[in-house]
Amino acid sequence: MTETAANAIELKNTSVHFDNGDQQIDAVKNVDLTVPRGDIYGIIGYSGAGKSTLVRVINLLQKPTAGTVIVNNQKIQQLKPVELRQARKKVSMIFQHFNLMKSRTVQGNVEYPLLGTKISKADRHAKAEKLLKLVGLSEYAGTYPGQLSGGQKQRVAIARALASDPEILISDEATSALDPKTTKSILELLKQLNRDLNLTIVLITHEMQVIKSICHNVAVMDAGEIIERGSVAKVFTEPQQKLTNDFVETSTNVKEAIERITSTIKISEFKADQELMYFNFIGNSTKQSVVSELSQKYGVDVNILFANIDQIDGENVGYMIAIITGDLAGFNGAVQQMKTEGVKTRILTDETLKGGDGQ
Amino acid sequence: MNAIMPNVMAMKGEFIQATWETIYMTLMSAIVSAVLGLLVGVLLVVTQPGGILEDKLTYSVVDKLVNLLRSIPFIILLAVISPLTKFLVGTTVGTTASLVPLIFGIFPFYARQVQNALLDVDHGVIEAAESMGSSPMAIIFRIYLREGLADIIRVSIVTIISLIGLTTMAGAIGSGGLGDVAINIGYARFENDITFMAMIIILILVFAVQLIGDWIVRRVEHN
Ligand SMILES: Nc1ncnc2c1ncn2[C@@H]1O[C@H](COP(=O)(O)OP(=O)(O)O)[C@@H](O)[C@H]1O
Ligand SMILES: [Mg+2]
Repeated sequence: MTETAANAIELKNTSVHFDNGDQQIDAVKNVDLTVPRGDIYGIIGYSGAGKSTLVRVINLLQKPTAGTVIVNNQKIQQLKPVELRQARKKVSMIFQHFNLMKSRTVQGNVEYPLLGTKISKADRHAKAEKLLKLVGLSEYAGTYPGQLSGGQKQRVAIARALASDPEILISDEATSALDPKTTKSILELLKQLNRDLNLTIVLITHEMQVIKSICHNVAVMDAGEIIERGSVAKVFTEPQQKLTNDFVETSTNVKEAIERITSTIKISEFKADQELMYFNFIGNSTKQSVVSELSQKYGVDVNILFANIDQIDGENVGYMIAIITGDLAGFNGAVQQMKTEGVKTRILTDETLKGGDGQ
Repeated sequence: MNAIMPNVMAMKGEFIQATWETIYMTLMSAIVSAVLGLLVGVLLVVTQPGGILEDKLTYSVVDKLVNLLRSIPFIILLAVISPLTKFLVGTTVGTTASLVPLIFGIFPFYARQVQNALLDVDHGVIEAAESMGSSPMAIIFRIYLREGLADIIRVSIVTIISLIGLTTMAGAIGSGGLGDVAINIGYARFENDITFMAMIIILILVFAVQLIGDWIVRRVEHN
């Protein structure tokens, strides 16, 4: 019981099967998912992986074919229609295409969830005004959504989502239609809501960049299954699955760099005292100086072809690809010792790169 | 004027009367058809597969009924429905009696138009409303009918204009109105200026409906 209380969402062995006559789709397959209260939990996967279907199970917009769904300590499949509608008010949702009502003003949209409730008209106005202020759109109260930019529309949608005082916010690709700068500001807003309102956020995306900037935990979804999960820092630095690694390397530009490098230089033509090495620095970014110390100690030459630094869940992570020339045995041995201190390395050869994932 | 339209000038009173009859038939049948058409249109949208109150049986029965009624040519409907008209109104001639065939002639058409207008309401908005815990009734009144209002008004204009056309057909078989004047007086007596005048008045009515409708659409639409 104490365990359930700590969790906002628990999906147990949940499956969703679509039967469209001749077309059978297992959109979600035996998924277990636990989202702790107050977490920002990311779900990443390519289009068609089943992400939307999975989160639609959380508010029962999609009935699961099998499995148990516990949200805010309620087994929601057992609720009567009226109770379910009440429960849904505590699980708000924002969408890629905003889904605002074009016939209502910004204020009208934000007030919508409060229509038909006991809240008085004056209180409704006041609440909408407060929420619009929170998302920074006070002066747009009387405007119709058609007049707003994408980022502004998503802010209105967020204000509307907050009107029913939800405990959980589900974001289904909410930043996918926005430019990078607007994406960043929306993510900042979500982060602020998570912190200030202790709002649990489940965030779907196909971009690792988004996960990296605000999520604490992440699940990687592929063909209806969660194939990998854990803290963002862990999944990001030690991806176990090829798909996860794909997402990580795409978002850090490592993938692109490896392609660029291997198209211009041939590892097979390296001299005996040369190797191509991939470095991964976790934590304090000054660790990169470790490499220069070691290179001096062993008299090796480090020719950096690519370097990038990133912030994951508040921690610095560096990536570097370099050609090492000199006493390889000594240098490799020493660099191996640094593993426990957050410096990980991998020698890139034609064999290891053939898979295309650099693992 | 007397030289160009001698017969019209002699029948000023009849024309005014006929114009009012046409307006009366159009308005009364429009009001009843609007209620029936909206009900059926909404019913079709909510019960269709994937709708908010999905009900395959209801949907398919209503859908087929609408198709059936729409397939009957109006001039045939006028004749076929006369026993029902007689039962409901007590007579089959006159403006009030014509309301029965007019309503049956137009409301299935209007229902289909309403259905199409509502289908254009963004499905994402419906889903958003469901996720906010809206009841089916709330979704019908606060989302479908509201978000679809501009389109509903557009199809209403088209329907009223069709309806004016139908009143003239009903007029031809004795319901009164401008159709009656044009056919049973102008055409039957070879008094061409009467037929022509009836047409002019009908065109004015159609343009007036179009203008007023467009003006309302502009007021409710916020794209
Ligand atoms: N209502 C539905 N009926 C039939 N198939 C569906 C339905 N919704 C989703 N699917 C299918 O389920 C799979 C997963 O879809 P979705 O959950 O939308 O993926 P994602 O959000 O990860 O892109 C896809 O193959 C999609 O075509
Ligand atoms: Mg999706």
